Amino acid sequence: MRAVNLIPAEQRSGAPVGAGRSGGVAYAVLALLAGIAVLALVYGIAHHQVTSRTSQVASLQARASAEQASAAQLAPYTSFVAMRQARVTAVEQLVDSRFDWAHTLHEFARVLPRDASLSSVSGTIGSAAGTSPGASPSAGASSSATAGAGSSASVSSVTPPGSVPTFAVTGCASTQDAVAETIDRLRLINGVSSVALTNSTKPGSGVTSSTPGTGGCGANAPTFTLSVAFQPLPATSAAAAAATTRTVAAHSSSAAAAAGPSASAAAGPAAGALR
Amino acid sequence: MTHRDRVVAIVVATLAVLVAGWLLLVSPEREKASKLGTEVSAAQSALSAAEGELSSARTAQAQYVSAYASIVGLGKAVPAADEVPSLIYQLERASNSKNVEFTSIVSSAAGSGTGSSSAGSSATSAAAGAASSAGFSQMPFTFIFDGTYFDLEHLFEQLNRFTLRTASGSLQVSGRLLTIQSVKLTPVGTAAGSSGPVQLTGTITATAYVLPASQGLTAGASPSSPAGATATASARGSSAPATPAVVEVTP
Repeated sequence: MRAVNLIPAEQRSGAPVGAGRSGGVAYAVLALLAGIAVLALVYGIAHHQVTSRTSQVASLQARASAEQASAAQLAPYTSFVAMRQARVTAVEQLVDSRFDWAHTLHEFARVLPRDASLSSVSGTIGSAAGTSPGASPSAGASSSATAGAGSSASVSSVTPPGSVPTFAVTGCASTQDAVAETIDRLRLINGVSSVALTNSTKPGSGVTSSTPGTGGCGANAPTFTLSVAFQPLPATSAAAAAATTRTVAAHSSSAAAAAGPSASAAAGPAAGALR
Repeated sequence: MTHRDRVVAIVVATLAVLVAGWLLLVSPEREKASKLGTEVSAAQSALSAAEGELSSARTAQAQYVSAYASIVGLGKAVPAADEVPSLIYQLERASNSKNVEFTSIVSSAAGSGTGSSSAGSSATSAAAGAASSAGFSQMPFTFIFDGTYFDLEHLFEQLNRFTLRTASGSLQVSGRLLTIQSVKLTPVGTAAGSSGPVQLTGTITATAYVLPASQGLTAGASPSSPAGATATASARGSSAPATPAVVEVTP
């Protein structure tokens, strides 16, 4: 007698679980469909991004082109304002690079002792020292300072930073002591780096003096020649700061007051200068 | 083919279909989207730059009137031409106000110079100075003034005040920009018998400046618009200055 297994084939031990009658094909089809769905979803998202970004790029580029065109139409205004800025900067640099001659002359008068007077003052800046008036300023120190983006920004100052103002001062004093005091007083001027005596000679001493001996001093008063050198002109920004703060007067007046009573009254010694 | 082989084949086929779909369809599209993302960033940057450019251009347009006035005002300090007559007028006015006699003006570029200059020296001085720098041209002069020490000192201060920086740092222009290079003060004569202050001769070497010939004072601009912008402003109907800049310039 032949034994018959009454257990359904898919439930027998050892048979593939869940394979079903299709032998797993149904699962594979389902997996394939799921995979295709995922692919379609990802593709859809990417395609949407492509579409939206394409239109976004076109929109942005159109806007950028329109704004660039507008800006290009207004370019003359931009250039004009840039030119203005360049010129302002250039003029500012030239203004800042100037030496304050008036203030220096004022300081000379302020610190000069009562018993001394000046007969001539000659000041020059830079290597132009000693040249005759009328000589080309290009003989002096020159440098160019670039200022801004404008075409007119490059300006060559005739008194560039680093130039050294120097003065040759001749005069007379009642005594040699007064000459010494004059040297000391001149050193009190703010910005003076050195005061050098060239000569101080009494008339009739047998030594030829180059100074004329004017100035209202006595007949036996010594005449002197001094060389006063200032510190090199600072860079323009520092010069501007110096011009605005202007501590020179206060400094020199207090220093002059400390040096002696005759220098504390500004008008007094000043009146003796070149008188 | 066994059952197991059939399952393997089905799985492999499914995977192959999915990989092929990814490689052929999805991946290129994603790549394209990524590239477009970069393009969007670049376009946004370009737009930002263009917006900034336009913004500054509009600011410049709004500032035009004041810029025009400023540049014309600067023309008093650094004119487009040599403007020697104006310089003489300014020096004469300044010296009169300071009780100083304006004796002589010599264009140093015109030679060693023995005579006082007039308008005749203008062309020579401007031409000689033009080679001095790439920016402003230099015009060297020698001035001679007669006056007392303090009057001359005040005159020098006045010359500086033609163009100066205010305490706030801004430029104040009321005359020609001059850079004094040398000063020589000598007595006019002996002081014997005179009780007043000694009259001095002040010899000044100074340099004035001139704009490059290629630029002109306003570079072709009019009070209402710069050169090349007239058609633009009217075509756009934009906010170009409706009121022209009015600048009063005295010599």
